[in-house]
Amino acid sequence: MKKVDTVKLISAEGMEFVIDKEAAMVSQTIRNMLTSPGGFAEAEHGEVTFPEISAVILEKICQYFYWSLQYSRGKETEFHIEPELTLELMMAANYLHT
Amino acid sequence: MKGKSIAESEYIEKSERKDEIENVNRKRRFSREEKGKGKLVVETDLESEDESLVDVSFSDVELPAEEVKSPDEKLSKRSNRRTSGGRMERFRDAARRNASRFAYFNTREEEEENNNNLSVEAEREIPSVEEHIEEKVVEDWPGPFSTAMKIIRDRTANLNVRQGSSSSDQVPSVQIKWVPQKGKGKDGSKRLPPSLLDLSLRVLVDNADAIASLDHVPDAMRHKLCQMLCDSRQMNSNLLDLLLSGSPTEIRLRECSWLTEDQFSECFVKCDTSNLTVLQLDYCGQCLADYNIPSTLARSLNSLPALTTLSLTGAYRLSDAGLSVLVSSAPALRSVNLSQCSFLTHGAIEILASSLASVLLELFINDCQSIDAMLMLPSLKKLERLKVLSVAGLESVTDKFIKEIITARGDGMKELILSGCGKLTDSSLKIIAETCSSLRSLDIGNVPKLTDNSLGYLASGCRSLELLKLCRNTFSDDAIGAFLEISGEVLKELALNNVGKVGHNTALSLARRSRNLVSLDLSWCRNLTDEAMGLIVDSCLSLRVLKLFGCTQITDVFLYGHSNAKVEIIGLKLSPLLEHI
Repeated sequence: MKKVDTVKLISAEGMEFVIDKEAAMVSQTIRNMLTSPGGFAEAEHGEVTFPEISAVILEKICQYFYWSLQYSRGKETEFHIEPELTLELMMAANYLHT
Repeated sequence: MKGKSIAESEYIEKSERKDEIENVNRKRRFSREEKGKGKLVVETDLESEDESLVDVSFSDVELPAEEVKSPDEKLSKRSNRRTSGGRMERFRDAARRNASRFAYFNTREEEEENNNNLSVEAEREIPSVEEHIEEKVVEDWPGPFSTAMKIIRDRTANLNVRQGSSSSDQVPSVQIKWVPQKGKGKDGSKRLPPSLLDLSLRVLVDNADAIASLDHVPDAMRHKLCQMLCDSRQMNSNLLDLLLSGSPTEIRLRECSWLTEDQFSECFVKCDTSNLTVLQLDYCGQCLADYNIPSTLARSLNSLPALTTLSLTGAYRLSDAGLSVLVSSAPALRSVNLSQCSFLTHGAIEILASSLASVLLELFINDCQSIDAMLMLPSLKKLERLKVLSVAGLESVTDKFIKEIITARGDGMKELILSGCGKLTDSSLKIIAETCSSLRSLDIGNVPKLTDNSLGYLASGCRSLELLKLCRNTFSDDAIGAFLEISGEVLKELALNNVGKVGHNTALSLARRSRNLVSLDLSWCRNLTDEAMGLIVDSCLSLRVLKLFGCTQITDVFLYGHSNAKVEIIGLKLSPLLEHI
């Protein structure tokens, strides 16, 4: 896996999640950050920090990215969400436009 | 049978002169049939009608049966002589033009003629008889609308000539060239994955009882959640408490029929309303009455200082007095929706005008049957900054009302909702078009008396119209096509719901002009074929929503053949209905 094809998402606690760029682009917000010609620091280093999103939620979000790619390729499964995460997840999803 | 036909012919005689040619034609037929009969009462009637045209020799009518033929011959000779006259030629053309109108009995047109007598008193500038208006249209505007109409009509006429058809209703009047493009467009089987937001919301709704707090949840999320909870009938007072905790800024409950009076009082008594900007309690009839307002919403004179938007639809126990208490606590109101508050009278509008005359921007009073439009007119005129007015379903809205309010406040009007105001005629649309130059949104659905002239007025007057809603209107395909030729570029939302005559001309104009159209409703437009639909969808590149309820004529040829990947088609097959209300 080439380094340029991945991005690093950093949670509030500092935990880092390295995922495929294609997966990260499921989020419209991340897509804009990485592709906009404005010269975002994120685009240059391939890293995005989310000080408001906790590690547990960020992990779930990464899982959603991969599930979403799988779904559009035809494999339609169910994405399970633990009820206790839902509220925070919803707000993070709203922020990430995903 | 004879008696009936005579009565019929008498009826025809009593109408205008241009029908005379028809009379002649009909009577000729009768006399041939009745050759054996003695009495020629038919001929006498013709004589009595107009002496200048009929020769004096016609008085020889009471002839014995053997000489029946001669009046017949005389008649035909006379007709032959008449054919050379230029005046008769004109009458004949006029008769041909108008024959279809007399041959086809339309209840709506008759109603219109009956009721137009009333509107004539109110509106003297424009003659109310339909024919006069039609003639006047052609003379009055050498403008773009009539030009467009002419082009469309000529196009149709040329096609009819070529195809030898006499009735444009039967033949698809214009050819639509569109072929489905396989493989390019939205693959029917491929589906977009649901967003994480939607998934989380669904889980939240399913576990609504387990929600402990809604603090820190932004208003937009709250509203989405409430909407889903209300739709699934899971909203309850506990959740309402959560919504009202802290100092909420926006409360939107689109359905409060589950809320009892006691629950309402309990919840709102302790609510800090000082930061509330939006309060929407729709269908609150059960919980809201005059007597519980002072203890809940209007606890003090300044209890709703920040409230700009208020919606209390369906508050059927709210009287003018109750509204007065509420309004006195909310001096900053900019948008008020009191639809279906059937107890309110024109006094309510007086109350609004006395405290909110300089701030109120939007007023919705749909279906408030106790509000008489003419009585509320003076108060309505006092609302200096009125931009949005909705009087849907109010029977008392007449041409006179529209004339007065538009003359007073039409300049600044941005949105007008007049659906269901059945008494309105073209003259109202004329005034709206002439005065409301900045009108963005217009709803004239279910106003059956409007004719094609209204579209003409709108095309020449309201150049910024972005949203137009029609429903069950009787506009012709030609007129809608012509309207779109002129105004289609600016339109973003168009509803032609159940406008039965929509056909190929509309489709062609949509395809050519509507590049900014985002939402289109063609439900129940049965004359549109797969080809027409395909052309529309493939040409309107901004189109995102297409409603096709009731269009059972649309097949998979269109559904899988169109190449617009971004458009969502609603109403065919099994789309969940409630999502789109």
